[in-house]
Amino acid sequence: MSVLSVDLFIAALRLATPIALVAVGETFSELAGVINVGVEGITVAGALVAAMVAFFTQSPWLALAAAVAVGMVLGALHALWSVYLRADHVVSGVAVNLLVAGFALFSTRIIWGWRGTSAAAPTLNPWFLVGAMLAVVAIAQVFIFRTPWGLRLRVVGEHPRAADTAGINVYRARLLFTVVNGALCGLAGAFLFNNLGRFTDGMVGGRGFIGIAAMVVGNYRPLPALLAAYLFGFVDALQMRLQAYIPSQFSLMLPYILTVVVLAGFLGRAKVPKALGKPYVKERG
Amino acid sequence: MPGVEETPGGARRISQAVRMEGIVKRFPGVLANAGIDFSLDFGEAHGLLGENGAGKTVLMSILYGLYQPDGGRIFVRGTPTRIGSPAVAIRLGIGMVHQHFMLVPRLTVAENIAVGWEPTRGPLFDRRAMVRRIEVLVKQYGLEVDPTARVEELAVGEQQRVEILKALYRGAEVLILDEPTAVLAEQETEALFAAVRVLKEQGKAVVFITHKLDEALAVCDRITVLRKGKNVGTLPARQATPARLAELMVGREVVFQVRPEPVESEGHPLLAVEGLVVTDDRGVQAVRGVSLVVHDHEILGIAGVQGNGQKELVEAICGLRQPQAGHVSVGERDLTGASPRKLARAGLVHIPEDRQQRGLILPFTVAENAVLGQECDPRFAIGPWAQARRNIARYAQELVERFSIAAPSVRTPVQALSGGNQQRLILARELGRGPRVVVAVQPTRGLDVAGMEFVWNQLLAMRRQGCAVLLVSMDLDEVMMLADRVAVMYKGAVVGVWRREEATKHDLGLAMLGGKGAVA
Amino acid sequence: MRWLREAGPVVGAIALALGVGAAVCAVAGYSVPAVYRELVRGAFGGRYQLFQTLTQATPILFTSLSFVIAFRCGLFNIGAEGQLYVGAFAAAWAGFTLELPPVLHTVVCLLFGAVAGGLWGLVPGWLRARRGANEFVTTMMLSYVAIYLTSWLVSPRGPYHGTQWANQTVRILRSAELPRFMAGAQLSWGIAVGAMVAVLVWYFIFRTPRGYQIRAVGQNPQAAEYGGIDVSGSMILALTLAGALAGLGGAAEILGTHRRFIEFFSPGYGWDGIAGGLIARAHPIAAILAAILMGALRAGGMAIDRAGVAPADLAAVIQGIVILFVVAPELIRWLRRVRLPRSDHVRAER
Repeated sequence: MSVLSVDLFIAALRLATPIALVAVGETFSELAGVINVGVEGITVAGALVAAMVAFFTQSPWLALAAAVAVGMVLGALHALWSVYLRADHVVSGVAVNLLVAGFALFSTRIIWGWRGTSAAAPTLNPWFLVGAMLAVVAIAQVFIFRTPWGLRLRVVGEHPRAADTAGINVYRARLLFTVVNGALCGLAGAFLFNNLGRFTDGMVGGRGFIGIAAMVVGNYRPLPALLAAYLFGFVDALQMRLQAYIPSQFSLMLPYILTVVVLAGFLGRAKVPKALGKPYVKERG
Repeated sequence: MPGVEETPGGARRISQAVRMEGIVKRFPGVLANAGIDFSLDFGEAHGLLGENGAGKTVLMSILYGLYQPDGGRIFVRGTPTRIGSPAVAIRLGIGMVHQHFMLVPRLTVAENIAVGWEPTRGPLFDRRAMVRRIEVLVKQYGLEVDPTARVEELAVGEQQRVEILKALYRGAEVLILDEPTAVLAEQETEALFAAVRVLKEQGKAVVFITHKLDEALAVCDRITVLRKGKNVGTLPARQATPARLAELMVGREVVFQVRPEPVESEGHPLLAVEGLVVTDDRGVQAVRGVSLVVHDHEILGIAGVQGNGQKELVEAICGLRQPQAGHVSVGERDLTGASPRKLARAGLVHIPEDRQQRGLILPFTVAENAVLGQECDPRFAIGPWAQARRNIARYAQELVERFSIAAPSVRTPVQALSGGNQQRLILARELGRGPRVVVAVQPTRGLDVAGMEFVWNQLLAMRRQGCAVLLVSMDLDEVMMLADRVAVMYKGAVVGVWRREEATKHDLGLAMLGGKGAVA
Repeated sequence: MRWLREAGPVVGAIALALGVGAAVCAVAGYSVPAVYRELVRGAFGGRYQLFQTLTQATPILFTSLSFVIAFRCGLFNIGAEGQLYVGAFAAAWAGFTLELPPVLHTVVCLLFGAVAGGLWGLVPGWLRARRGANEFVTTMMLSYVAIYLTSWLVSPRGPYHGTQWANQTVRILRSAELPRFMAGAQLSWGIAVGAMVAVLVWYFIFRTPRGYQIRAVGQNPQAAEYGGIDVSGSMILALTLAGALAGLGGAAEILGTHRRFIEFFSPGYGWDGIAGGLIARAHPIAAILAAILMGALRAGGMAIDRAGVAPADLAAVIQGIVILFVVAPELIRWLRRVRLPRSDHVRAER
């Protein structure tokens, strides 16, 4: 009868997985100076493509690879727009979201005949992806703060000209880390598919945006971002159990309200990279 | 001359590090380098002298690979070379210390120096090895700095040393210093000169970009003077005299300087600051109890090395930052912490330091910018629901004519104007409001001689009309020329106030570094 | 002719997107000419079709204006969807609760919608200005809250569950309705209200001191602060007005089209507003045209579905591609640069 139980804490870890993956991905791209609001859409695309490939090939492994690949492609698209064509980062990310939303409805309809829902397809054990997430967080933490490339990454976002004169290709670094961000969002999407066994429109339900919030709370550090993601996962797990006691609409609101509260800075504030969202114009003549 | 030469000091054989021949560089509307020849030897410090806009920085940016020349050839150690990017320049052993440091404040000294060429242990960055390497360099060149400190904790002079160390770490044999003394106080400058002498002794070639004659004479072996994109003369420092260099630099015998005429103050304190305490963005006390009074018909100059609280002081006076303690009054009224708008109504206007970030809204038109801060004024708005567009246009036109701003029309976006005209527009807008108190920060930075004279004359005109002017500038010459009294700020406090007649460069420089001050 | 220079790349982007859309169509195995013929016919083929387009364009116009006004202040209102919902519910409530004479009742209901939407914009505005919270995340999050909240209000356990067979309120009173133009078509005077509001928004942004301040904050907050403009206040005002415009759109949709509040009634008008605002390059008058384009894609999409040539969601795909191309004006410039030398080459050969 108790709402609080061991199950709850385990379920929380599971629900934290996609949020943490997005948070770590966004940490990479924002440290490099690229805001990617398209994480929401990229996660949707990852889930959709995973469902498609799993449905057609019956191979959940291929599905996983495809989800990551489509994430990378969309990450590259966002980087092309925001880094090379100098579109406003938020605008470009929103465009990616809209594009994916259109494709999701269209392709579920032409493949399965239902608007916004796929058929069931073979899946992996989602716990495998939870493990992958934990590994990603650990590797990211070491990569960012202990390796030469992590140092370069931080310089690219803080002082792109300094990075440029140190022989680092700022554009390519931004492209690379936005692609990494896309890959991790694709993985997050793959998790959501494997968790449910099919794709449904709205299954991401703002988790991309919540991932950004977790990144903000984590202050651009993967481990603290994981803790923040766990908090969101916990509330998400809690709300499912609360549905027995309060109207489901109110419990469904909880994670969103928590996100707003968190972003309002009641849980500490992040130090934003200096060149975040600013196009880098190489001085050339 | 190329190849082998003797240093002024002795008989050591040295060879040519760099030769640039007929360098041409065009920018839209400007010929920045009009066929410049320049050469540099190992073991020498070569002064590159010229006014703002003479083409010094552009020439050196070409050598550093930041710009590609439209014509001319570059030889490095006698070999013709194309320097396509700074990375190529660094590989060739050319390093540059920019005016604006290329450092990440949040990272440590070691991390800043290492980036791009990190020592590793396995896949990881080896911090300890990096610190050791820096310590070796520090000893070799006497450039004292703590490799484990965060750059944001360092003083400006130390940050500059980090930049030099960074270039040396990357294997620089040729070191370009772009206006290295602009941000330093007199005594820090001495330390820099000492470092340059060490570098020379170790066989490095140093280019010293400056527009100050005495500096060029103090540290350089040869001096090249640029004027309007041309090399107008290269001469050994021994043969150079200030008068000769000045003539080469400006192309006429006398450097025009404005002279404030004597005016009598009536002794009304128009701007009074009392015990002001202000914290900076990080929450650290940047201004620690400053008290100042500026009277009518008076210019009070604030001298000091950048980063000693001037920015925060000005922001607190002008309503852009809340002081922790103390008072600001304009005339008789206490306006501590009042909004910029309230202060403006009380007669205080502000010529901000960063004219493109603070002073103007670049995509807005001249007319729109002309009423920034007054857009709700009854002259320019009919209640909150309509702008008086015809009045705005007429007023802007008036300012354009009165301050001779070169703008095609008042509907031109301000970003299409030149830097000098942008500054004129700010002056026009602020001084056109008929102020009683003017706060001007670095008002001539980046302007050409004509632009500087214009600004100086405008400030003197305000003084003549009875305004109190607070002039904050890093350029000691400017402050000493215009101000009736000079206050020196050091570590957030005013360490001394001098009357112009009694001030000497030596005393002020000493005070700027925390030495003893005299109070007038 | 500044507007021509602005409009050029947008028209180019739309053309390019239609081309890519055709390719998508072909790859998916549909007949390109048939799809595009039905799309155009379904959107503009006759009076009924045109009315359908305008009906769809009405809420999108309001949400586009909502995006535009926030964007002019340098802010992203991604939560127009939720503001639309709260505005819609508030207007419906006023519509079936208050008893007022006809025209006045409609106006009061519209105001209710605007105020409710405005409150939903005020919160993220305040959080952004005073607490530095990313408005593009908070507006989005509050959007979910609004959708669930209104869903609960009309659910069987909620207080305004009006009919047994569906989660919706009771019908609004006749006095509160926005009249329709023609029997059998849903197009109401909402579109006229929208056009009027677009002009008002234009006037506000470009001709009033407050609008000047909002634009100043959007272009350069530091300079605005230096000029004594209340930056926080301008941000709060801009997002509140953005919310109010979206709320007004929800109200117009209820009063003119549905005549009652229905759970999950919006097929994503809030999102279309982002698209519309971007296509309009944040210009309120251009937003009218952009909303009509979005409405045409929706109406035309339904037509291709009815005709059985392709699913309606193809229109959503085309819309996504249009946005992608519109937001990168550099892309069009870049493509033009690539093409130019080739035409020179051809001329040289002749």
